[in-house]
Amino acid sequence: MAEDRLPSPTDQVKRLYEDSEQRTARAFEALVGRDSFGELLAQTTENVIAMVKIGSDAFDLVLRNLRLAGRQDITRLARQLARNEDKLELVLQEIERLQERLDELPGTASRGSTRSGSPNGRGDEQPRSSRSRSRGGGS
Amino acid sequence: MSTVERVARAPRAALEFANILLTQNDAEVGVSPKDVVWTHRKTTLYRYRSDRRRHAIPVLLVFALINRPDIFDLRPGNSFVEYLLNEGFDVFLIDWGYPEEEDADMGIEEYVCDELHWGIREVLRASGQDELTLLGWCIGGTLCLLYGGSHPENPVRNMALLTTPVDTRGSLYGNWVGRDSFDVDQVAEGYKAIPGQAIDWANKMMKPVTNYWTTYRRLWEGVMAGEARRAAYQPMARWVADNPPFPAAAYRDWITWMYKENRLVQGRMRLRGNRVDLKRVRQSLLVVTAGADHIAPPEGTRPLLGLVGSEDVTTFDRPGGHIGLMAGSKARKEIWPDIVQWLEGRSQTTTRGKRNGSRDT
Repeated sequence: MAEDRLPSPTDQVKRLYEDSEQRTARAFEALVGRDSFGELLAQTTENVIAMVKIGSDAFDLVLRNLRLAGRQDITRLARQLARNEDKLELVLQEIERLQERLDELPGTASRGSTRSGSPNGRGDEQPRSSRSRSRGGGS
Repeated sequence: MSTVERVARAPRAALEFANILLTQNDAEVGVSPKDVVWTHRKTTLYRYRSDRRRHAIPVLLVFALINRPDIFDLRPGNSFVEYLLNEGFDVFLIDWGYPEEEDADMGIEEYVCDELHWGIREVLRASGQDELTLLGWCIGGTLCLLYGGSHPENPVRNMALLTTPVDTRGSLYGNWVGRDSFDVDQVAEGYKAIPGQAIDWANKMMKPVTNYWTTYRRLWEGVMAGEARRAAYQPMARWVADNPPFPAAAYRDWITWMYKENRLVQGRMRLRGNRVDLKRVRQSLLVVTAGADHIAPPEGTRPLLGLVGSEDVTTFDRPGGHIGLMAGSKARKEIWPDIVQWLEGRSQTTTRGKRNGSRDT
């Protein structure tokens, strides 16, 4: 019976290993929690960012001198698109707000609503995915 | 298993181990059927398909700006979304997408005052309801709080916050990025969209041995013992590795406001000139913390309880990690039923009731 309760050598080795792994994990967690690690991380981040920026700017300069669109040019275009979408969203919201106000006026629901169906214009409205302000569909 | 058996099994186990790691990106995550309700820039609002809706108040799921919201719908059989749908909820999810350099101007204000605000509006339009439940996880929870604290007249009936950072004093993140020598402006200028891998690396470095070694050692042992749970491991591993970039402005705002200046608990947070007053959060509030959470530790969330204006506050303080609490194999039995029970009693229509003509999908 006593032998049954004794763990096998393999189990003993495994337990020893797991204990040491846990101690190592705790030691590393204590290490990364130290002020010195935080300082190291801050300086390393600063250096990496600086190097990436220098590399990126230099590569963009090469592309521009070759009269090719660089990353900054493409980003600038994409940003313009995003700003246009912002404006479009605000215009759509304003239209919807006016539409709702119009629908609330007596006798104007069926005339004013671009959405057929219910008096408040919500009933049979098309799913957004089929309208201009949405992209894509179900997934 | 004898030593000889172990040695004999090792080559085959090595092949299987490698196969699990190499094919983890083939795992399907976030597969519950859903429809696009609204999009703006990279943000997409989804509504999950269901024919079992019986609770009037829709639930809007809000995840963090790091990692993907697929964690709400990790895999069939272990999906919080699936669970909510089966319990009769009308579930929406706001997905922040994959921001790129052109979204560098998207700050916390834009996410709270535009994307979340507009998303809520679209949820109400699609569901035909006048109120909704906000369920935020991690930074998503903080965004919900910021929304509630800066929009006094809002349609949020209930707010459920899962492992949400509120007070960052003494946190490990605070020690790393809150110090003066960490130049967040330089980071935001250098990278217009902070690479997701960098954020992920920082997250993993909080527990380096566990994340970079123990996870794989345990998988290896599972494979050797013939007990590797590929179906459970791969979706989670894929989700962990799926890291969208963090828009520069949002990153700068988040680090400065939350970690360098700890504004939220001090009542000094302002969004577009409006002070975020947590006393304005008067909704029924559920706060869930995880005892072993090293990213948003419970002691960083609990101060919220003394700051909000809610009279109906429930807290669940459970064992588990930041993600494991809600997405681990035990979540279905240990935390989801409690959250659903909390929601059920607070998800019926009130006097204003349901708007006419809601759209079912």
